[in-house]
Amino acid sequence: MEAKKAFYQEYEVFSKRTYKSPFQHQFSLLAPNEEIAMVMAQENFMRREPVVDIWVVKRSEVRKLDETERFALQRLDNKQYRSTKGYGYLKKKWREYEQNMLDEKEILSWGGDGKQ
Amino acid sequence: MANMVSFDRLSEEEKHARFMERIAAGEKIEADDWMPEEYRVALIKLISMHGISEIMGALPEKEWVPKAPTLRRKLGIMAKVQDEMGHGQLLLRVAEDLMKPYGKNREDIMQDLFSGDLKFHNVFHMPAPTWGDAGLIGWLVDGAAIITQTNMLHASYGPYARALQRICAEEVFHAQHGEAIIMALTEGTQEQRAMVQDAFNRWWESLLMFFGPAQASTTGSSKQDVTIKYNIRTKTNEELRQDFFSKYIPRALSIGLQLPDSTMHFDEESKMWVYQQPDWNKFKQIIKNNGPKSKERLRLRQLSYHNNEWVREALSPMNKVV
Repeated sequence: MEAKKAFYQEYEVFSKRTYKSPFQHQFSLLAPNEEIAMVMAQENFMRREPVVDIWVVKRSEVRKLDETERFALQRLDNKQYRSTKGYGYLKKKWREYEQNMLDEKEILSWGGDGKQ
Repeated sequence: MANMVSFDRLSEEEKHARFMERIAAGEKIEADDWMPEEYRVALIKLISMHGISEIMGALPEKEWVPKAPTLRRKLGIMAKVQDEMGHGQLLLRVAEDLMKPYGKNREDIMQDLFSGDLKFHNVFHMPAPTWGDAGLIGWLVDGAAIITQTNMLHASYGPYARALQRICAEEVFHAQHGEAIIMALTEGTQEQRAMVQDAFNRWWESLLMFFGPAQASTTGSSKQDVTIKYNIRTKTNEELRQDFFSKYIPRALSIGLQLPDSTMHFDEESKMWVYQQPDWNKFKQIIKNNGPKSKERLRLRQLSYHNNEWVREALSPMNKVV
């Protein structure tokens, strides 16, 4: 019985859909070791969707937040100085100087020649 | 918010109130979160039954892999059987995480199935003797499953809702696979059309039973009230059955099938389908593993479990030779 219980190890599965995309959690599975976990990850979760990379992680190695800790993740709504929202008035200012605002959309478009 | 900082110090009532607030606000409950015992028990019952049914359902379908009429049909039904096993794997994981506080795992789920404590869906106790049955299962049994499963896509329990998202996306393929078989047969010879009608007649009662009785009093128990109370699903058994009729009866008639219940009609006033009730005592017997194929299918599962026992032992990390 003990041997049987030990057979079922929990693994969490993560995968990437494309080279550009971040790893995404898929689901969990049971497997006796990481090699079989990897095979089952493909069989269970990637029968159709494109996939370029897979991670399997033993669940016991994951430090998760508990319910109380997750509650502490709520943000106070007074952090505009940290975001562009707190500097939105600049748009009007620049217009007074007959210039366009260099906003996030504009700045992030500068990498390379625009091709992905 | 301040009183939430020490969640562990809340009384059971306060935890329950907070839990109800969370689900009312559309938040998702996760495996390690506090939850009422009634919620956990209802989920375990629902999801372990759903998961094991996926696996038991793959058994009658896989019988059709060697007998499917063309290579394309073989590949199609094989892919479907593989999906059903995959759905079983997903759902059992969800159930196992919920059972953890009781010290139970997959081994216990299998033993509960073999002992009859864990039930599987009524439709999977029935025979599927012809290719018409294979098509009908894909079209209407999967169609019925889509109706009940999409009703739980927004379930308050996060892991189940996420599993259902994956499952329902694949069920769309299953339903179309079934429709393609049925369409080919109904557009075929007289004999092929008769095969579909025959399968439709054979599965009619099982399809009515699929959604469960309208009232708990019919069979003595029902989880529908608890699952609705906790936002696991929104519609009652009867509402789901009516939705199924509205979606599928017009389609069945359009391809020339006759309704097995000649008294069935849509009542314009109540906006409900009026139909003859299936034999609910028979239903009770079927789900107690006294259906026509119950024992045979359980034996198949049992055999494969025992035949593979050496693999579980050999690969158990505890037996690893270092």
